[in-house]
Amino acid sequence: MQEYKPNFEKIYQENYQRVIRICMGYVKGDEDLAKDLTQEVFIKVWRQLNSFRNESSISTWIYRITVNTCLLQLRNKKFLKRADAIERLTEVEEEGHPSKENQLKQMYKCIDKLSKDNKGIILLELEGLPQKEIAEIMGLSHEAVRVRVHRIKNSLTKCVNNGSI
Amino acid sequence: MEAFEDLKSQWEGQSPSEIPEDGVQKIIEKMKGIKGKQRSTNIILALTVMVLVGFFFYISAYQFQTVMIGLLLMIVTLIVRIVIELASINTINKIDASKDATNFKTRLMKYYNNRVRVHYIFTPIIILLYCIGFVMLLPSFKENLSAGFYTYIWVSSIVLLIVFGLLIGNQAKKELHTLRELKS
Repeated sequence: MQEYKPNFEKIYQENYQRVIRICMGYVKGDEDLAKDLTQEVFIKVWRQLNSFRNESSISTWIYRITVNTCLLQLRNKKFLKRADAIERLTEVEEEGHPSKENQLKQMYKCIDKLSKDNKGIILLELEGLPQKEIAEIMGLSHEAVRVRVHRIKNSLTKCVNNGSI
Repeated sequence: MEAFEDLKSQWEGQSPSEIPEDGVQKIIEKMKGIKGKQRSTNIILALTVMVLVGFFFYISAYQFQTVMIGLLLMIVTLIVRIVIELASINTINKIDASKDATNFKTRLMKYYNNRVRVHYIFTPIIILLYCIGFVMLLPSFKENLSAGFYTYIWVSSIVLLIVFGLLIGNQAKKELHTLRELKS
């Protein structure tokens, strides 16, 4: 039987929005898939909450679990199939000025073209996390993150505007 | 022409997702489900091994050397295969997702490299030994069973071998794909 964890409800409420947005970045904006992934993340948080040692902030710890759980979804057939279906659905381009929704879809498509590490870095940057915290989550030096953020920002912007990285 | 800051504000301006009211409750239920599933898997595997060992004694396989070796080969290879799979599940579940992403990815790649080794080295050996064990049993089957049933046994075994071969092949392909994706 699972022991009751009084903090968990609070942690869940406070971090849900950020976690689901990061997850959406890994599944090309599919909210249903992101919800499933978010649930996976919080299952891991629940399981490991007792081993959290306050060496970092709880949110940093949760984002580490988020990035790693999203990486793990690679092995899940359900995610691969759905992601391919979304790819086909979003292939219809809009002529003239694209709507906000389509711009966002384009952004998701461009994020998906990035390498796994770069995807994690830019999603955390888009969430407004300080680069020091991103470095801690990704296991890279602050300097490496700074350089990579600069490069990824350029290629993402280029991709959203021109359609290719 | 969008600048990165525009993209960021678009990202931040996304409508917030609704936090499921029963989210925490669902997580607790899912945790119970996972534990229950693990327990049933263990029970099924233990029963399979017990049935095989029981069968070994039921037909007094130890009295006939060829039958004994054949059956033992099949039982042992099956047990080895099950142990390898259980150890793999245990390993991937133990990879700590709260470590930094670089550390996590390195461990994940190590896990998948080991899986590839299992698929390319251990699985063919296991299948080969299992088949040898089965072939050793065939003369005894032929002697003791009707011609029709004997034909049914070896034909169905070939079909099963092909089906399992395809399943294992498919699994290996999937894991190789994951490994490639992780390296990308």
